[in-house]
Amino acid sequence: MTTPTKKVREVGVDLQESEENRAIIEAVEADNADCAVRHMPGLVRITTPGRLVINRTSVESRLGRDWETHEFQLAIVSYFGHIAEWDDDQIVIQWDH
Amino acid sequence: MQYELRTLVIEPRRKTFTNLAERYGDRPASRYEEGSVEIQATENFHYRPLWDPQHELFDPRWSELRLTDPDSFTDPRQYYYAPYVTARAHLHEAFAATLDYLDKRGLLARLPGPWAALLGGLVIPLRHYESGAQMISTYGCRFAYGSTVEQCCSYAAFDRVGNAQLLSRVGLALGDGSDALLAEAKAAWTGAAALQPLRRLTEELLVEKDWAVALTGLDLTDQLLYALAYRHLDEAALLGGAGGYSLIAQHLASWFADQRRWIDALQAAWAADPQYGAANAAALAAAAEQVMPRAQVAVGALAAAADELVGADCGPAVAAAAQAARSTITALTAPKEAR
Repeated sequence: MTTPTKKVREVGVDLQESEENRAIIEAVEADNADCAVRHMPGLVRITTPGRLVINRTSVESRLGRDWETHEFQLAIVSYFGHIAEWDDDQIVIQWDH
Repeated sequence: MQYELRTLVIEPRRKTFTNLAERYGDRPASRYEEGSVEIQATENFHYRPLWDPQHELFDPRWSELRLTDPDSFTDPRQYYYAPYVTARAHLHEAFAATLDYLDKRGLLARLPGPWAALLGGLVIPLRHYESGAQMISTYGCRFAYGSTVEQCCSYAAFDRVGNAQLLSRVGLALGDGSDALLAEAKAAWTGAAALQPLRRLTEELLVEKDWAVALTGLDLTDQLLYALAYRHLDEAALLGGAGGYSLIAQHLASWFADQRRWIDALQAAWAADPQYGAANAAALAAAAEQVMPRAQVAVGALAAAADELVGADCGPAVAAAAQAARSTITALTAPKEAR
């Protein structure tokens, strides 16, 4: 490694900690290998370097029912990063620059 | 004076029950897991049943189809009491709204003659089929091993009572509030030639000793019957000007889609079991081999009677459903090397 590595900024989401959202948190943990999860009272902050993905199918398999990506709005308290993609199957949060 | 605000995180002493922490790791378990997994009584059965001293009260050997770890199967719908009841309350409310609509518009009274005859003479008697299915599912609930499987069977049994109620309500609505049609339906179930093969099959499944074989047989019959009565005839009804029939059928079709989710998962778990997988696959294939021709005859008789009334190519529809059911079982039970 001769080139100096650029520091990767973190992106993350704060989710309300509830029975329903636990499935989402587990899905995010499973799909983002290098994520860090921090539990705060009533809140869970998940951060990853650079890019965070939420996949509809992995949430559905944990939740046991159909889940649409717009339901993510109900779970989210705050986020940092840009929402680069938000379609029927996937939500991607990353920094654009 | 300055105040510093900071959050203090208090780690709970334990996140869930010990057995769940050992199984899934120390993470908060879902309500479904806490209420369903590893509830099965496994020891201290003091007395064996007098009527079958070869078995314990709860015994995996009640069936040929076994799981090494019965709790490795979990309901993909994650139903425990609250979500199950909520889901079914929605189903029945939606059905009541449909029935209300049918009643207000007089849609049942305005069904074309052959469709009214089909609904009254062939579909409403199926509430007795649902009743039989309830007994078979309850039997599964009693003799299955592993609380996650038992729970699914138990809810499936309640579902069948519900389905029979849905059909009964249609019968009452179609008969203008009198129970005459239901009495006729009972007579048809025990007497009408078109229904006898299905009644025979249902009763044979009722006396099947192996709960898993009975459940598999019931499911295969369901696949043909629901494909015919609530999917194929649903579409034919729309084309034949019997929209009322279709409005009713949609609810039962969507229930069956829900039912299939756990049956599919259970059959997949049986076939993929590390220890019993091969034996399970063989037993599953044998059960299908045994029931499939009879199911095809039973539902075929119903299809022929339906064809006589409304002429909707029901025969080929049943054959196609049978083909689909067969290939699902074949895909599950094919030897692993062949894949």
